[in-house]
Amino acid sequence: MAQTNQQLIAEYASQEAPLLPLLHAFHERDGYLSEEALRATSDGLKIPIAELFGTVTFYHHFAREPGGHLAPRVCTGFICRMNGAEELLESLDGATGMPCSGRCDEPIPVLRGKQTLVGTSADALEPRDTPVPPPSADGVEECVFAHIRDPARKTLEGYRATGGYVALERAVRAMTPEELISVIDDSGLAGRGGAGFPTGRKLRAVLDAEGGPKTVVCNADEGEPGCFKDRALMDHDPHALLEGMALACVATGAERAFIYLRYEYPETDAGLAVAIAETEAAGILGDDAFGSGRRIKIYLRRGAGAYICGEETSLLNSLEGAHPFPRNRPPYPVTHGYEGTPTAVNNVETLSSLPPIVANGAEWYRDLGMGEHAGTKVISLSGDVNRPGNYEVPLGLPLSELIEQWAGGIRNGYAIQAVTMAGLSGGFLAGDDLDVTLDEASIRSKGSFLGAGGIMVFDETRHMIEVAHSAMEFFAEESCGKCFPCRIGTQRLTERLAGDAGPADFTMWLDEVADLNLTMKETSACGLGQAAPLITESLVRYFPEVVRAHVAGRLDDE
Amino acid sequence: MSDNSGLTLFLDGEEVGFTRGESIFQVSERHQKDIPTLCYDERLEAFGACRLCIVELEGARYPVASCTTKAEPGMRVTSKSGRLEMHRRVLLEMVVSENREVDVNELAGYASQEMTTLVDRYDARTGRFAGGKSGTSRADDPNPFILRDYEQCISCYRCVRVCAEQEGDYAISVMNRGFDTQITTEFGGLLVDSACTFCGQCIQTCPTGALADIKALRAKDVEEPVEKTRSICPYCGVGCAVDIMTKGDRIVGIQPAMDGPANEGALCVKGQFAFDFVHHPDRLKTPFVRNDHGQLVPASWDEALDKAAAGLLAAVNEHGRHSLYAVASGRAPNEAGFLMQKLVRAGLGTSYIDNCSRA
Repeated sequence: MAQTNQQLIAEYASQEAPLLPLLHAFHERDGYLSEEALRATSDGLKIPIAELFGTVTFYHHFAREPGGHLAPRVCTGFICRMNGAEELLESLDGATGMPCSGRCDEPIPVLRGKQTLVGTSADALEPRDTPVPPPSADGVEECVFAHIRDPARKTLEGYRATGGYVALERAVRAMTPEELISVIDDSGLAGRGGAGFPTGRKLRAVLDAEGGPKTVVCNADEGEPGCFKDRALMDHDPHALLEGMALACVATGAERAFIYLRYEYPETDAGLAVAIAETEAAGILGDDAFGSGRRIKIYLRRGAGAYICGEETSLLNSLEGAHPFPRNRPPYPVTHGYEGTPTAVNNVETLSSLPPIVANGAEWYRDLGMGEHAGTKVISLSGDVNRPGNYEVPLGLPLSELIEQWAGGIRNGYAIQAVTMAGLSGGFLAGDDLDVTLDEASIRSKGSFLGAGGIMVFDETRHMIEVAHSAMEFFAEESCGKCFPCRIGTQRLTERLAGDAGPADFTMWLDEVADLNLTMKETSACGLGQAAPLITESLVRYFPEVVRAHVAGRLDDE
Repeated sequence: MSDNSGLTLFLDGEEVGFTRGESIFQVSERHQKDIPTLCYDERLEAFGACRLCIVELEGARYPVASCTTKAEPGMRVTSKSGRLEMHRRVLLEMVVSENREVDVNELAGYASQEMTTLVDRYDARTGRFAGGKSGTSRADDPNPFILRDYEQCISCYRCVRVCAEQEGDYAISVMNRGFDTQITTEFGGLLVDSACTFCGQCIQTCPTGALADIKALRAKDVEEPVEKTRSICPYCGVGCAVDIMTKGDRIVGIQPAMDGPANEGALCVKGQFAFDFVHHPDRLKTPFVRNDHGQLVPASWDEALDKAAAGLLAAVNEHGRHSLYAVASGRAPNEAGFLMQKLVRAGLGTSYIDNCSRA
């Protein structure tokens, strides 16, 4: 028997962060979100109906028509388009596109309800496990990937057999928050989700913040195109994340933690739920962690399809059930986060790094980097390379070495034309600027940034205007619509790259685009609007002749 | 509480005082810096959408929105510079590029000229950044009060925020995202089917006339200039201050007084829209009394009051003083209510008096 509206509401209304799980329950029960279900939710959770309706429309995946939940969604991200996503979309009945869904190292993913199939044609779609990261070149020592290729590692037993939960037990029983944070400080670990904020400093800010309860949030909304590292970590080593979150709880004094997982990872959702249940049953997490009397409760929450929810304040609004616009900062989440409480929001890779750092020591982690760079970074490498995949590289590794030696070079013997950085948010690097090392200092000196570590590679045959257009189209589609420069600017740049609008005169075209770029970059309210113009800025910088031909082509069309 | 004395920052080189909790925008307003904005309404929480109020802050890489940035001791703020003015002009050119019209009739609403004024101040009608237009108007909404011309909407969300924060109605919200953002009601329906009370607050805060006063716009083609006369709403005892808009000798619309001490810019549906009785042909302009044939005929106030007094006296004489019961109008101010009970208690000798709000 399917549960009634009232039963579902009663089940969720008393839980933490109830809106998203309740909406998902209705979505799965009815196959869509009916008006009746939304009105019941509005009454049950005391959210004004107009606000709830607006919020539901914000998300990509909530269907408002019967049958919509199970209708296929085909990834039309960059890499998938190169693999024929548009043809696949055409050939599937009732299918719609979805932005990059984080499987750039696999054939095209098609999401149906809670299942992901992959393939390149409608009759050859199949479920497939997340690829295990390729081995590191020359056996370079890794941090988060050290045990990931061990198939037993995803079970609690296998995780414990390879040293799992030793660090947590020590922290719970014998370490003060201050001791724990100083190890993290000394390791030099910085946020691996993109912003690169020193992790120890963030945890200390939450520990020291007035008020409570303290909260830890894992940002697993891996929405950046070209990034698929967090999925590999969560699918093959879920307990490392849970242990890392629990360590963050000990460091900050938090008793509750949330994983905010992107909608497009349903198998990951199921795997994490199993892992959480296993640890609670074993008394490692839950109301009495390791019998210490300490409560560490991890809640799993699934997003509903919105890139901006990877922005931490937007994520917090989404978790709270509010409209997912980013918040104005300051105040920052470390003092005013989830429900206004001091909150540490950290990326999956950052949190997964904590157990080996605590177990092996700060110096061990620092020394994994090259030269003065501390530690490692997982790079999601995709596009025109022979071996796309996730690579945990020592910070400071030359980009060329990653592409040539680790990933087997460019496919089909072509020359490299450009790469994206930080997924898409860092824009392009090309020409002599490809001679960088993988660390923020080196990449920022070229006007870009390493960010979450997604790198998409384009060979010399790729049409850079088309690449830039689909990048900007993504940002326009994902712009939340709150601040003017981003809402209007991403649209105008997309139109100019499509050739739909803009001056036919090259100099005027460049002027308009430069003004849009600068104003977006300097006045947008959050990282999306600040980063999007890096696409057009770097396109014009590296490929002026291609741009000139694009603008001249428009003139010919008229 | 923290000590507020002696807090200062530097605003365009001048050391100025501020109170803890004030935003840079508020401090700048007090010093007549005239920083441009489109999404700001001083009654609402600062939102930070339009980015026109950006200022430069020493030590910050990029400009910050002054409305959402709190003043801090020792800050060095620049409210106007070549870089800021360049950004402001580009932002206004962008805004112009998404709308169909820049000029709207001033009858549309209290704040309806804000965008036009800024666009002209920054000479931003350049035609640059041409492209798709945003917003879908709801010409099909048959309500007689609020024009929903979203083709003029710039997504500043002042309407949504005033509805939630000032009125507590939550009748409207934001749907979709990015360039497809649209102001909506629940399920995209009509206002009459929503929680809307037609108070008109959304109209009066709209800076572009996208939400407009349908009743006032009836007079848009009347040649005479709009005159505003400060008055008090006649409907209830709250005493909301209003500006009565007239063209010639006719009332064409009502706007709430933002500085009205009782209402601070708020009005209800009656005060906002129900003024047609003033010029209505059926409106009573003199008292009427019944003649010997039982017909109502116009009379002077003296005749009418004499007749009423005689009637009341007759009733008391015949049935006793407690045969009377008086109901004071809820529209009456305290002073009138006081006089009414005085008349009833001292004059008629009964304490049967009540107010229509509870009678």
